[in-house]
Parts: sequence; structure tokens; C-alpha cells
Amino acid sequence: MKKTFYLLIAIAVAVMVFGSSGSVLAASSLVVAQDVAPRMMNPHGDDSDAGLQYMANFFDGLLQRKGPDGTLAPALAERWERLDQLTWKFYLRKGVKFHNGNPFTAADVKFSFERLSNPDVSEFINTGKSIAGVETLDDFTVVIKTKEPIPWFANNMHQVFIMDKESTESRDPGDVMVKPIGTGAYKLVEWVKGSYVRMEANADYWEGAAPLKTVEIRPVTEASTRFAALASGQVDIVTGVPVELFDKIVTNPKLDVVSRPARRSIFLALNNKPGSPTADMRVRKAMYMAINEDEIIEKVMRGHAAPAAQIPDPPTIGYNGNIQRLKYDPAEAKKLLKAAGYENGFEITLSGPNDRYVQDAKIAEAVAKYLAKVGIKTKLDVKPKSIFFPEVTEGKLDFYLIGWFDGTFDMGRTYFKLAHTRDQESGHGVFNGAAFSDPDIDKLLQSTADIVNPQERGKVLQQLNKMAMVDKIAWIPLHYQEDLYAIQKGKGINFKPRPDRWMVYKEISK
Amino acid sequence: MAAYIARRLIQGIVVLLVASLLCFIVFRFMGDPVITLAGRYATFDQMEEVRRSLGLDKPVYVQYFRFLGNVAQGNFGISYVTRVPALGLILERFPATFELASTAVILSFVFGVALGVLVALKPYAVRNRLIMAGSLGGISIPTFLMGILLIMVFAVYLGILPPFGRGETTQVGFWRTGFLNINGIRHLILPAMTLAMYQLAVLLRLTRAGMREVLTEEYIKTAWAKGLPPRKVIFKHALRNALIPVITITGLQFGELIAFSIITETIFQWPGMGNLLLTSIRENDQPVIVTYIMLAAVVIITMNIIVDILYAVINPKIRYE
Amino acid sequence: MSKRRIKSRMLHSFLHDPSAIVGFVILVLFIAAALLAPLITPQNPYDLETLTLEHFLTPPIWMEAGQAPYLLGTDDQGRGIFSTIIYGCRTSLFVGFSVVLIAGTFGVIMGLLAGYYGGWIDAVTMRLADTLFSFSTTLLAFLFLGISGGGSILIVILAICIAGWVRYARTMRGSVLEVKENAYIMAAKSTGAGDFRLLVHHLLPNAIPPIFVVLAIDLAVVIMLEATLSFLGVGVPLTEPSLGMMISIGKNYIYAGMWWMIVFPGAALILLVIGINLFADWLREELNPKIQRKA
Repeated sequence: MKKTFYLLIAIAVAVMVFGSSGSVLAASSLVVAQDVAPRMMNPHGDDSDAGLQYMANFFDGLLQRKGPDGTLAPALAERWERLDQLTWKFYLRKGVKFHNGNPFTAADVKFSFERLSNPDVSEFINTGKSIAGVETLDDFTVVIKTKEPIPWFANNMHQVFIMDKESTESRDPGDVMVKPIGTGAYKLVEWVKGSYVRMEANADYWEGAAPLKTVEIRPVTEASTRFAALASGQVDIVTGVPVELFDKIVTNPKLDVVSRPARRSIFLALNNKPGSPTADMRVRKAMYMAINEDEIIEKVMRGHAAPAAQIPDPPTIGYNGNIQRLKYDPAEAKKLLKAAGYENGFEITLSGPNDRYVQDAKIAEAVAKYLAKVGIKTKLDVKPKSIFFPEVTEGKLDFYLIGWFDGTFDMGRTYFKLAHTRDQESGHGVFNGAAFSDPDIDKLLQSTADIVNPQERGKVLQQLNKMAMVDKIAWIPLHYQEDLYAIQKGKGINFKPRPDRWMVYKEISK
Repeated sequence: MAAYIARRLIQGIVVLLVASLLCFIVFRFMGDPVITLAGRYATFDQMEEVRRSLGLDKPVYVQYFRFLGNVAQGNFGISYVTRVPALGLILERFPATFELASTAVILSFVFGVALGVLVALKPYAVRNRLIMAGSLGGISIPTFLMGILLIMVFAVYLGILPPFGRGETTQVGFWRTGFLNINGIRHLILPAMTLAMYQLAVLLRLTRAGMREVLTEEYIKTAWAKGLPPRKVIFKHALRNALIPVITITGLQFGELIAFSIITETIFQWPGMGNLLLTSIRENDQPVIVTYIMLAAVVIITMNIIVDILYAVINPKIRYE
Repeated sequence: MSKRRIKSRMLHSFLHDPSAIVGFVILVLFIAAALLAPLITPQNPYDLETLTLEHFLTPPIWMEAGQAPYLLGTDDQGRGIFSTIIYGCRTSLFVGFSVVLIAGTFGVIMGLLAGYYGGWIDAVTMRLADTLFSFSTTLLAFLFLGISGGGSILIVILAICIAGWVRYARTMRGSVLEVKENAYIMAAKSTGAGDFRLLVHHLLPNAIPPIFVVLAIDLAVVIMLEATLSFLGVGVPLTEPSLGMMISIGKNYIYAGMWWMIVFPGAALILLVIGINLFADWLREELNPKIQRKA
């Protein structure tokens, strides 16, 4: 009798524990499994797109980029004009309120821009320091002066979010880091680190309240686990679908895949220090031709990448459609190596991150294999991004894999960082990790600094791009990534990915 | 006794000093945190400025002494990644780790000791041989593999238990617990089993060995001869003595529990301290790493002292001169 | 009992203990496979010149899409699982034996000195040992590798040795303290034998048997630890074969149904460790019943 009783209890518990399925999701709420976790709720403290995409929901910039194309549009500023090379004038929107009820005014803009140069709270040091002064003409007009001409200044204004001066100053600094008070479409409800971020629509949003009433974001950094969450119906959308599980999702009748060519290109950087094998154009060319990019795309990326012949993507100013990839030809590569005097090859170390880009370490492994087949003994040195990127900025690498895209849609800034000779004084070439240096590229690049007209910039930057990719083989381009998302089918989720990969929830409906 | 505790405390402080100093020396050779802190587009000069403002331009010993000074005031530094105090960041994760670890410890202790006694009493019974074979498996499957195998079976193929996270949690005062609803408990099952399994097998074998030794002692034989009820002999006389070394070793090996919980939390993305540590290591968040190590050391040293005191209480023969 | 008697008795008990024989055979097979890896594997999975992506992610040979010579299928870089396992075991056993050798030697010396001289040498050694012991080998190795970034097999070995010697030192010290009181040693001492002679010729051989038990158990523990560290990404580098690394790669594919990438290396690891543990169990029963407590 007693035994039966215990057995019944055991069965009841088992049913309760094993039987209950994922919670039923309400109609106007959305649960998303994201591949990155927010670092903080301070909109200036993390300049990566991974962090900014969270902030874009709680805060607004002076301008915004509208999905799904990423066109620049007014936000907290209704319009803007460039008065001269150094001066930008923004006319602010009236009647906007912060989440705590404070009115939005020019003082908040001035405060926010000045906050950018404080290293204790900001990673936008570069933007902050490039500003000479912020002047408030009245409550709703702001004039920003830069120290040097910055042609892409406005292009970047969707990344600089405006904070509430009063509450940011009066609150404890630690509180500012975890509780966002912005003007954005969503208010933070609860952030449990490592578990979820919950937000609710801001009913007073100046664009009108967002269609989704509540959004819950679960950061799940492990790709296969994100898939598990989706397959078991726990979440509506996952970002960063692992390529190895793509087929599994496509064949699942309950799931839909949304893909979009990503802006980020993956490429290999090479040094050209005099005396090193890679200073020889023939060697650079040989290495380029030895790599079977089509196979990388097919096997490593599972078809989810597009071959790249240059660093910028088509919408970027400076993209040159005439540049072609060198074809894969290991025999020709061997000939070139022989001609350059490296018939027996040479040794080189390929560095790269193993936790940054889609399949990054796997791509590096594949590249090492191709190079080995033409006689170049390649040592792999892949490591976490926190160790790899500092090595890039030290400029002591010979050969490394990296990815890039520029949020401003203008190649100028990127090229100054990646291609210009490393120069302590001007601060150029910070991410030129192989210390590539070419006087022609430097000269042409410097000449673009004062050109503001987009058409004119485009022309010169295209010329520069061709010089770097064709004449000098500054880098070996590999591919553009593809952003993969998966959503639950039949729930009426209306989701269009953005080019910058931000998840902006006011643009999603259900 | 008081003198003994005082001496142990001083030793503990020395350990903390050495551990933190080692961290500081090693950090010298790690990636430079300034590059991420200054932002992607910062110039060399701007990076230097950030370095100065964080005091990272100073020699290591200056940084170290400043760190010690701050620690004395309860300030372990600000996390580079999240820019909030490192200590708070870690303590926020404490409930998750504690609930997982304590569940696992209780599971492994209850089942390990019970099965150990069972096996020791009748070593040659078929059932007990099977249990021993199981325990061999238990000590031969590394924790990480156990976790993956459990995920493969219960989450992928059977699909009856969630493979990651803590599920629904409830905030009770400063404590966030997963015990208060079914969803939270469901999420706890696989990680707790993973963490408990190895320890369970070890405890089983320890208990069995201890029991077998004790059962041959004279006083047990006397107890049997006196006709005391078996339950009393086994539990009151034998088990109590057999458990002393078991408890001691468990208490002294607390570092092992911490290490295994790091592994388990990583596999199940359990939002605890161990998971935070691994993330911080990947992101080179040095203040968080140092704070974690200091906290782990404090816990381990405290556990040692408690075990020593308990040992002296249970076994009055031991004297601490 | 003479030494020969002990030896023949051990052999006898070994031959009558099926599980010890099974364990020993498993261990020997693994060692042989590891040593002969280039001869018995169809492919060197770490030779970049011959490795291609052509046959990547093929299932085991008996399945429909299986392909010769990939007996147990291939991984996402086209490495044969069977070959990689053999090479991975090579790393496991190399790390295992290296640690046992280095940590064992160091630990034995420390234990010998501490036990024989006592006094401050003993106090300092044992305090250090206690501290390292309570932090545990696993935690210290993980922290060291995590913070320093690791990067090579040698650093992994070193990291495991940081606290790995402690068990040997404690066991050796205990054993020395017991042996020291023997009439035989006392006699040798009274005849005026020098310290060195006494330590090496008299104490060491008499006190060392329990060390073999620790050694056998430790081999299994170290092999599991190496796999764990490599799984977590702080162990052997990507360019070296490792069972832990294979499992970590395979983990990304468990939802894709490519179970062979995780099941075979996992099984190999468990089998190897079980083999060692079976042998260690027998050794423990044989050599020193007292050591039983220290699992």
C-alpha cells in the first residue's frame, strides 16, 4: 500500500518534471535567442555592433539607420546640415521624452557628446576626441565642430546615442551601467545577466509605440544550444544560425530560415617588410591563387558566404565593381613561387581569432592546407579575440585572418585604419597588424580626407581600392559572410534582417 | 585552538597575496585590455590616454600595491568589460552556482554513501558488483563528457529535459532561486547530475573502502557478538568512523568542486560564477578574473579551517600544538 | 617475504584477476596504437599537405554515405575520425606519462626529503602541498592555462604538474615515516651510512611501492584532465590532435545528427581511462590496502 503510494507520487513528479513543455508565448511578445550578450546598459561603453544593437532599442541617436536597407534617416534630429568643412548643425525633434519623463533638449545632446571622451565610461574615445566643441544655440539646435574635416561624421550619428543629462549625472555610476534611461522604443524591464533581457514597448515613443509589446532576449553564445532553443519552441527567432546546422533547419517544417548577405568581409592581411618573402608581389599573388575560396565557401561555410574581391561591400562608398578575384590555380602559384626564388617554399605563421567570425578558425585551417600544397609551410596560431586583436594593434604579425565592415558606409575611415602606414603621430594604421606600408596608397588616401561630396569621394576611393587590391595585393580577400537567422514558421513573425545585423525590435512585428 | 585558527588565517592571507601577485605578473603577458577599452577607432595617442587614465601605464608593482590598497577597502576594481564593480558582478552569479553545487553535493553524498555502505556489506552480490562497475564508469567518464552525453540522450534524442540555462527563476530578496518552480527544477536536473556523477562515484568507493576496513575492526566484531541490532552496528558504530576520512577528503578537495562546477556551468550555459569566469578569461577581463580567484581562495581556505575544526571536534585525540 | 616471493605472488594474483588483465590489455593496446600511429592509420590527419576538404563529414564506413578508408567517418576538416583518435591518444598518453614522470619524480623527492628530515623542510613542503591540494590540480591547471593563454603541449604538462606532484609527495612522506622506524633502517643509520646513501639505497626502495598505486590512478586522472582542458579550449592547441578537442568540435554537430564525431572519441577516452582504472584497482588491492582511502 505504502509502496503504491510512493510510486504514484514518483509518477506524478515525473510527469510534472518531464511533461511540461516550453512556455506558451503570448501574441504580442517575442522571445529571441541572440548570439551575443550585452556587456552593459551604457550606450557609450561598447562600440561593437554586438553591443550597439541592444542599445538601439533603449536609446536613439541624432540619426538612425532604417531597416532593412540601412538608409540614414532622422531620429532625435529632424534634419541636419553641414555648414562648412568642420561644422555640423542639427535641428532637434521637439516633444520627445526620456523614459523617466524628462524632456529631451539640446543640453542632453551636448552632455552625451562630451561624455564620449571620458575613458571611464566610453569606448567612443576617437569620436569624442575628434570633436572640438558642442554648442547649443537654443533648446533644439546644436552645432558640433570637429577638429579636422570628417566627411563621414553624419554617417556615424546612428551609433552615438543620447542620454538623459539629469538622471545620468544624479545616479550612481554603477546604476547608469545597468539601467538604461533613453528615449528609445523600448524600456528595460529586467536584465538578469547570463539569462535574459526583458523589455517593454515605450507607449510614448515619438515614432508611435512599437508593435511588439514585450521582447525577451536570451543571450545564448553556444551556437548549437541556440538551435536547441529554437527547435524545442522556446524562442521565436535565433540570430547567428550555425552553418553546420543550416540543413537541419531548412528541413524542419516548423522553422524558417532568413538569410541576408552580410556587410562583413573576411580577408587575409600580409606584411610587405623588405626582405620577407611576402614583400615580393609574385609571392603575394601566388598565395592568393593557391587558396581555393570556392571550396572554402562550399565546405567550410556550407555555401553561406559570397566570394569577395575587395574589403568593402557593394553599398559602401568606394566599392569597385570592376575588381575581379584572381582565379584559383595552384600550378600557376607554384610557378610564381619558383620565379620568386621560393621553389622550396618558406615558412609563415597564420594568425587569427577563433571566436570572432563565422567558422574563423576553420577557415584559417583550410587556408593553411592550401598553402601547404604549394609548398608554403603554414603554422597556425589561432586564439581568442581578446588576445588576437591586441596583437593586431601592436603591428607585429606577418599574416593573419581578420574581418571588417564599416558602419559609416564609407571606406575612408576603414582604409586609414587598415591600409595606411602605421604612424604613431597621426594615429593611422592602428589595425594594420602586419605593418603593410605603401607610399602610393598613403598618398592617395590622404588626398581623400578633404573630399566631402559622395560622388567625388566614390571616384577616388574606387581608384584607391583598385590600387590596393589589384596593383599591390594589400590583402587576400576571401568572402563576405552571410547572416543567418531562423524563425518559427506560422506565427506571423514579420522580420527583415538589417545590413548591420542589429536587432531593432521596433522594426519587427508579429 | 584560537592560536591555531589565527595561524591558519595568516597562512590564508599569505596564499591570497601570492595568488593575486601571480595573477598580476601573468597579466603582463596577456592581451592589452586598453585596445578594447579605447574602442575600435581610437588612435595610438588616444589609447595611451586611456591607459594613463586607468593607471595601466604604471609599473606592475605600483598597480599591485594600489590594487591591494583598494582590496583592503573592499574594492576589487571595475570590470573592463561591463564597467561595474567586479565583486558585485561575481556575487550576483553566486546563487546560481550555489544552487547547482549544493544540489550536486547533496546528491553525490546521499547516493555515494548509501551505495558505498550497501556494497561494503555484501561485496560479492551481483547487484553490488554492478554498482561497483557503475562506479568505475563514474570515475572514468570526465565531467565534460558526462554532460555532453546527458545532453545527447535527454535533450537531443529523448527531448525531455532542457539542455541549457536556468529556466524560470524567482527573486527572493537578494537571492534569485530556481527551486521555486517546475521549470527551474527541470533545468537543474541535467547539470546537477553531471556535476554529481564523478563525486558520487568517488564517494561510493571511499565509503566502501572505509566501511570494509572498519567492519574488520575488533570493536565492530564485539558489537556484533553482543547482539546489537545490525542497523545500530552499521550506522552508529561503523559508518560514523568510516565517514571521518570521507568528510575530510571532501572538505579538503573543495577546489575540485569549484573546478568541476566551472566545467559543468560552461557546458550547460548555467549563468553562474564559473561561466562568468570562462567568459572573462576569453574577454581578458582581468579585474573579474583576479576577484574570482581571490574569492575562490577565500572559500577554499575557509572550508579547510572548518574541516580542521570539525575534525578536532569529532576526534578529540588530535591536538593542535 | 622476499622480493621474489612478492613478485611471484603479484603475478599469480594478476593472472587470477580478469578485470586486471582486461585493464592491462586495454592499456597496452592503446600504447601500442599510439606508438605505431603512422603505421596503422590510413591518414595522418595533421599533415596539411595531404589533408583535403574533399571528404569532409562523411559518416562511418558501414553507413550509406560512408567512404573508404575512413573507418569511423571524418570531421569537418576532412580528418578521419579513426586516425585522429589514434593520434589523439598519442597526445593523451604523452601528456599522461610526462606528467606522471615529472610530477612523480618531483613529488617523490619532496616527500622523501620531508619525511626523512622533518623539521622546517617538512613543515614548509607540507604546508605548500596542503594548499595546492585544496585548490586541486584541475582548478590550478585550468586557471594557469586560462590566464596565460597556454599554446603548447609542454605548457599543458607544466600546468598539470603545478599541483600534480602533491599526491606523490604526501604518499611518499607517509610511507617514509613508516619505513623510517624499521629496525633495518635504524641499523643502517647506526652503522653510520651517509644521508644520501640512506635515502637512495634504503629508504627509497622500501618506501616507494605505494607510489605505484598513486601513479596508476594519476595517469587516468591526468588523461581525463588533458581532455577536459582541451575541450574547454585552454589545452593543447588546435594544430595538435586531442580527444578533448575532437569532442569539442563534435559538440557543434550533435544537433546535426553527426554523432560519430563525438561518440567515437568519447568512447575511446572512456575505454582508455577504464583500462587504466581497472589496472590501478588491482594494483591498489595488491600493494597497499591502506591507500584505499585516497581514491
